[in-house]
Amino acid sequence: MTRARGLLWIAAATLRADRRGAIVNAAAACLGAASLVFFLALGLGVSRAVQRMFPSDARLVEVVPGTALLGDVLGGGRLDDDALARLAALPGAAAAFPRVALRVPLAAPGPPSGIAYSWPAGMTLQIPAVGVAPELVASDVRPGFSFQDPGPGSGRAIPVLLSRRLLEIYDKTIAPAWGVRKLPPLVSVVGLELPVKVGLSIVPHRTEPRIADARLQLVGLSDRVPIYLLALPLATVRRLHAEWNKEDLGYTQVSVLARRPEDVPGIVAAVRRMGLSVDEGEREAAERVGTVVLVTTGALAFLAIAMCALAALAIAQSLSASVRARAKEIAVLQAVGAAPSDVRRIVLLEGAMVGLAGGIVGAALAVALAALADRGAAAALPDFPFRPETFFAFPGWLAALGVVVPAVAAVLGALAPASVAARVDPARTLS
Amino acid sequence: MIRLRGVTKSFRDAGRSVPVLRGVDLHVAPGELVAIVGPSGSGKSTLLYVAGALDRDFAGDATVAGVSLAGLSEEGRAALRNESIGFVFQSFNLLHGLTAAENVMLPGLLRRGRTDAVPALRARAEHALEEVGLAEKADQPPARLSGGERQRVAIARALLVRPRVLLADEPTGNLDAVTGEAMIQQFAALARAGLSVLVVTHEERVSRAASRVLHLAEGRLS
Repeated sequence: MTRARGLLWIAAATLRADRRGAIVNAAAACLGAASLVFFLALGLGVSRAVQRMFPSDARLVEVVPGTALLGDVLGGGRLDDDALARLAALPGAAAAFPRVALRVPLAAPGPPSGIAYSWPAGMTLQIPAVGVAPELVASDVRPGFSFQDPGPGSGRAIPVLLSRRLLEIYDKTIAPAWGVRKLPPLVSVVGLELPVKVGLSIVPHRTEPRIADARLQLVGLSDRVPIYLLALPLATVRRLHAEWNKEDLGYTQVSVLARRPEDVPGIVAAVRRMGLSVDEGEREAAERVGTVVLVTTGALAFLAIAMCALAALAIAQSLSASVRARAKEIAVLQAVGAAPSDVRRIVLLEGAMVGLAGGIVGAALAVALAALADRGAAAALPDFPFRPETFFAFPGWLAALGVVVPAVAAVLGALAPASVAARVDPARTLS
Repeated sequence: MIRLRGVTKSFRDAGRSVPVLRGVDLHVAPGELVAIVGPSGSGKSTLLYVAGALDRDFAGDATVAGVSLAGLSEEGRAALRNESIGFVFQSFNLLHGLTAAENVMLPGLLRRGRTDAVPALRARAEHALEEVGLAEKADQPPARLSGGERQRVAIARALLVRPRVLLADEPTGNLDAVTGEAMIQQFAALARAGLSVLVVTHEERVSRAASRVLHLAEGRLS
């Protein structure tokens, strides 16, 4: 056994001897740890929920045509192949993916085939759609499916992608409001086919002279698809525009993928110099909510740190009183061989053990409180879109932080009492 | 072995220096039990704490267990107390939160370098308690022991690390006559076993068992 273990044994025995004081000190550390872990876990959990709600890609810049006046003055404004090539060549840009809004009306007169559904009699669902470059959404296409234009007269279904968030909104908002069935839980909607009529519009005078039957097949869910739009392959949209004699108006939007998030500001500035605009609506919303969550979490974490500091002060005061009361015992320890440095270490170890014990219990308490809060939220809050299963996130590092911070705070609180203990004069105290 | 030469010590009281020890010379050889007697306040305890490396604020030369205290660091003094000096106090000075065995273990826990693990140390402590006749009291807290038993626990603690010097400050002061006499006989036996035993007391009965009896008065030994 080393002397360090001996000192540890003595510190533990001292705490055992003064159980009440040790429990009070550990409770102070426990409170600090519990609040720190609870608030940080809440911040992380809410951040995760916000990311689900606004899954903006930090590297994507959404470019839209500039306003007519500004575009004319700067010699740009239109999103054509030339603008696309220039956007792809911007410093910091990894790629540019064009989008074209489908201007041929698309409507579903019935439910998807293959699932029983209470489709209201006579209802026709107008489907807004956009053509996107397959490369932009390649990672979201379910294996075994393809996101390529099937070509004219092939008889194959047109592959489509849906926003992942639309399903959540449908389940939590649209289905209850319309009184229709929710999507069956744990059943994948990928692969479903929806019969549609191309050229049919529910808006008077917008129906095309020619209406053709087609089928859409859902091949995946993507966060890169606008929430209320169906995404078709860009080539399909171009083909439909050609078949229905629609004029080429260029691209409606281009998604520029930056190499790194740090490249985004430079790309945004360059886009504006080209006379184009940047659609920052969703990104700004995500950033605003993210900032609010970050600031709130920071404030709560600061409060928790302040509680840890108060715990350190309480431990300092308690240990100081304990050291004063134990002066004779400290002198006895010196008489049997403890050096002043040993006495200092024993008191610091007492603080560390109290802090560690409080931290472990506090972290566990925070997890239990979070479970209670989740249960309360599940009972009290309505089932709104993107409502998370839990409002808390407990990564491993958070539990470690919850234990280490109160332990460090307790050791800092023990510094002054340890110094006082080390200065006990054994000869004078024992006389 | 204890050797003090010209040891002088003063206390400051109300801004003036009050001499307690005035050039004390003392030699206690191995196997010798020396009793220092004198009235209360004569400086007996101070002399003991100087010899026990607990008090460093003195003038003169002091050598204990072959180690000169002059210029010895705090760590060096603590190591000397731990390895070579055993203390027995009038008020026993046991730690109340620990059991008798745990009190006896303390010097072993503070030992420098590698030493016994806690279970082995506890076994040694129980053996030391057995030697002073307290084997069955190992798990008792001091509050449940009589005065004589507490003093025997203190002796077991002092002897755990097999010291070369035993210093006792009024060891029979809180004991009844029979228990005190047994304690004195125990010190005499330890001296015969080769320890240098220095006992300060104001009780004349201690001197009957001592090899030599020295009188401390007005800071001087005679």
